[in-house]
Amino acid sequence: MKVPVSWLKEYVDFDLTAQDLAATLTMGGLEVEEIEESATGAVLDVYITPNRGDCLSILGVAREVAALTGGALKAPDGTFSQSDPPSDRATVRIDNTEQCPRYGARIVRNVTIGPSPAWLQERLEAAGQRSVNNVVDITNYVMLELGQPLHAFDFDLLHGGQIIVRNASEGESIKTLDGEDRKLDSSMLVIADAETPVAIAGIMGGADSEVSESTTSILLESAHFHPLAVRRTSQKLALRTEASYRFERIVDPAGVVIALNRVCELLAALGQPLSFSAPTDVYPASIEGKTIDLRPTRTAQLLGMPISPDTCVDALTRLGFVLEASADADTLHVVIPTRRPDLTIEEDLIEEIGRVHGYENIPESLPRGITTHGGDSKLGTFITRLKSIFVASGLQEVVTHSLTAPSPFDTQSEQFAARRVPVRNALSTNVSGLRRSLLPTMLDVAQANAARGQSNLALFEIGRVWQNELVNGELAAEEYLSVACLFVGSRIPPDWQRPAGKKSDPADYTAIKGVLDHLLAKLNISGHTLRPASDRPEWLPQLHPGRAATISLRGGRPDGIIGELHPEIAARLDLRNRIYLLEISLDSLQRAAPESLRRYSPISRQQSVSRDIAPRVPNEVPYAAVAAAIESVGCPVLTEFRLLDVFVGAPLPQGVRSITISLTFGTKPTSLTDDRAVTEQEVIAALTEIRGALETRCDATFVG
Amino acid sequence: MQNSVNIRKQEALEAISAAASTAEIADIEVRFLGKKGSINELKRSIASIPVEERPALGARINEVAAEVRELLDTRRAELASSEMSARIASESLDVTLPGLPFPQGGIHPLTQTSDRIKQVLSGMGFEFVDGPELEDYAYNFDALNYPEEHPAMDEQMSFFITNDRLMRTQTTALQGRIMSERKPPFRIATIGRCFRYEAVDATHHHTFHQVDVFMVDENISMADLKGTLGAFARSMFGEETLVRFRPDFFPFVEPGVDYSILWQGRWLELGGAGLIHPNILQAHGIDTNRYSGFAFGLGIERTHMIQTGVNDLRLYLENDVRFLRQF
Repeated sequence: MKVPVSWLKEYVDFDLTAQDLAATLTMGGLEVEEIEESATGAVLDVYITPNRGDCLSILGVAREVAALTGGALKAPDGTFSQSDPPSDRATVRIDNTEQCPRYGARIVRNVTIGPSPAWLQERLEAAGQRSVNNVVDITNYVMLELGQPLHAFDFDLLHGGQIIVRNASEGESIKTLDGEDRKLDSSMLVIADAETPVAIAGIMGGADSEVSESTTSILLESAHFHPLAVRRTSQKLALRTEASYRFERIVDPAGVVIALNRVCELLAALGQPLSFSAPTDVYPASIEGKTIDLRPTRTAQLLGMPISPDTCVDALTRLGFVLEASADADTLHVVIPTRRPDLTIEEDLIEEIGRVHGYENIPESLPRGITTHGGDSKLGTFITRLKSIFVASGLQEVVTHSLTAPSPFDTQSEQFAARRVPVRNALSTNVSGLRRSLLPTMLDVAQANAARGQSNLALFEIGRVWQNELVNGELAAEEYLSVACLFVGSRIPPDWQRPAGKKSDPADYTAIKGVLDHLLAKLNISGHTLRPASDRPEWLPQLHPGRAATISLRGGRPDGIIGELHPEIAARLDLRNRIYLLEISLDSLQRAAPESLRRYSPISRQQSVSRDIAPRVPNEVPYAAVAAAIESVGCPVLTEFRLLDVFVGAPLPQGVRSITISLTFGTKPTSLTDDRAVTEQEVIAALTEIRGALETRCDATFVG
Repeated sequence: MQNSVNIRKQEALEAISAAASTAEIADIEVRFLGKKGSINELKRSIASIPVEERPALGARINEVAAEVRELLDTRRAELASSEMSARIASESLDVTLPGLPFPQGGIHPLTQTSDRIKQVLSGMGFEFVDGPELEDYAYNFDALNYPEEHPAMDEQMSFFITNDRLMRTQTTALQGRIMSERKPPFRIATIGRCFRYEAVDATHHHTFHQVDVFMVDENISMADLKGTLGAFARSMFGEETLVRFRPDFFPFVEPGVDYSILWQGRWLELGGAGLIHPNILQAHGIDTNRYSGFAFGLGIERTHMIQTGVNDLRLYLENDVRFLRQF
């Protein structure tokens, strides 16, 4: 809200520069966002929090200045007694007193509509309002001054010369001052004449009864409307005005007649031969301020600073609150004025005392009490562990959007599309739904980086994903945690030791598989299986069918996927390099990873023995089967085996590949004292068994 | 015989002085002093001379052998030293050449800041708890004392998934969940992603990250809040940091403030804080005459921006690796 300092000075005494005034208001809770210069001096742009509707006027801000500085408040007295003839008064009927508890009106005749005096135009302009004509300007001026929205109707255009405050009938409509035709419904409160709505209550007047150059008589409205009624109608019509903004934040019902009188006073000052009717004030059930009990001891305790009862009384009095006599010496009975409906409990008053007394006076102390156990959550600790594993693997963490446009991943299959969780009120496709997977947004990151010349990327992300699940026959969004990695280009950019062209450490399938292997090893997860995508291509439509697999951590349903991005999708995303992806459910990882630390397995201090074998196996036998065959032997002296080479082509026959594996033999001592070296006989026996297993389980042959 | 001894000695001296490397010295040692070396060979001839001459000859052979050994050792040391110098001279590198790069992993700056916040607050006895990002309307608003259809809601434009589920607008949403299952005293913090329906620019984003911190115990006051914030801010921003309160309005605290820190000569607004609204405590059966609590919130992006001078919120979710690698 714009507050011209010169205007403010008419209502409160203070001796501060605009800067000091701004600082005082800001530290008191009315944040001055900017100080502007205008023809009439400095203008403060004040942000009023939504609970302080009482500050949406010059007088309201003046009250705060008075409370914060101790300066004297000079409120207008709000009386206006001139009426002629006294029998003439506006006819007003309220049909819905819940939504309109009070309606004040006055008819003014012999009005000449014309431009406003210069001082009025200047004031309005400084406060950010456009000048319209003398009558409209005066109603706007009083709204800015006192906070009470007002309206002037052309009295001669009101059918039956009367005002009825009622709900609209279904099918009724009104053309508002902004020229729009608006359909009304029965939830909306309107101001009507004998026939039709002439204003939407608390929001905007109708064009048909607008004050114009030909107007000679006006009916002035000053009313109190229920904040919710105004808010709902304003939202339904998508129509927000200065009036609705104030009514939503509650206008003081006690100010209705004061504002009406103030308008009359200013109209009378125009120097026209006006005739004023007697005031009408329909107020069937008076709204009273409540009384709150305040304990100064509790005030001091909650604020954490010494505050005497006298200080409390001083602060409350400065705020203009009245204290009732109290029988209990330890309690103050505070009468809350109707302009402050935001104050409902003792703590609200404690805040008022604290801010008037000054929050800068609150000292710093640390809570005393039972020591509590601090630390990260189990999940947080697990995530930190995962992140350190990925960083050690050379991956950079990214943090991408949860709200996304549908990705090619989702549209690839109808089944996936149905599981996407849409945002109900999305205005743009970019935020139209929740991500089902981290990969699409990571691909966006890869694409954006590539466009800026960053084409060697090794990225990971840990974050939430959502998908629709059938719960009791209905689709409901469920939240999951996911872990994903993306590789593209080379893991190490070309440098003087490894020039471009002689690409080393390429980000390929084995690189991303290495990340998975390392992750599972570090988490002490074993017994997982990879199932080639070619088995169930419909599960992985987003990946290259020959270069992808599903991952099952404990058998059964897949917990993740790994592989190369499908070339079709890569082309659609304009990604030229091959991209390798891994995504795995964090929930599954957490379930599969043992919580306890891995048990120590003794290491031998004796020399180990190493032997290479090179079985030839049919192409359709995967390496996993070869490894499983070796493990199936359960050889007690086999400590480790490693793949050394895979060879295909001449002189091997078609359909066969040679797999060279290095086997390491040693003993597994149970203590340092029973440690011994592995014997030649044990190695020979083990090799025989391993060969046998490979022959029977993998159809392997050995040459020589 | 004495003559042969002198000849051998002469031969050895010549060989030693002609030797150009430690390898040659090793050869010479074998040739003259080895088991079958020419000086040792002389000892075999002792048997062929008269008995009375034998001791003198033996002594003479040993004497020559010792002389030769000493010369050999001296010469070997000289040669070894010059060989080492030559090797060192030949092996010198341009030590300023760039090192061999290896794959560099890194943590996103938001995670780095979150981790630091977790570390500081954990040390102050706060337990971190995780809450859902897709939250119930009731926890996000009702449980936090938001009056139904209040203008305060206008500042919390949300992404709705259904009528009663939305993307949480504040991590504060966890407070109701915690209070429904725990009894005071407790000190809780939660950190994570929040969403508001806002147009994106350098200082606004529909997706941002926040930490929410709250505690409930006997006699918790605004001074405790200020002290806790002060200790926290000094751990995050440095020992000289000061904290100041300004009245503000949040439905879930009363009194409500926003707090700023004095950092490098400027007051910077950090977040909202206050004493937990009695309506919230009472809704969970907490006796407000005995217990009170405070709560404060802090933006993760905001914290990192202050610490590092990043001036555009959008950079965090853009993930340009040149940006990420700076931290």
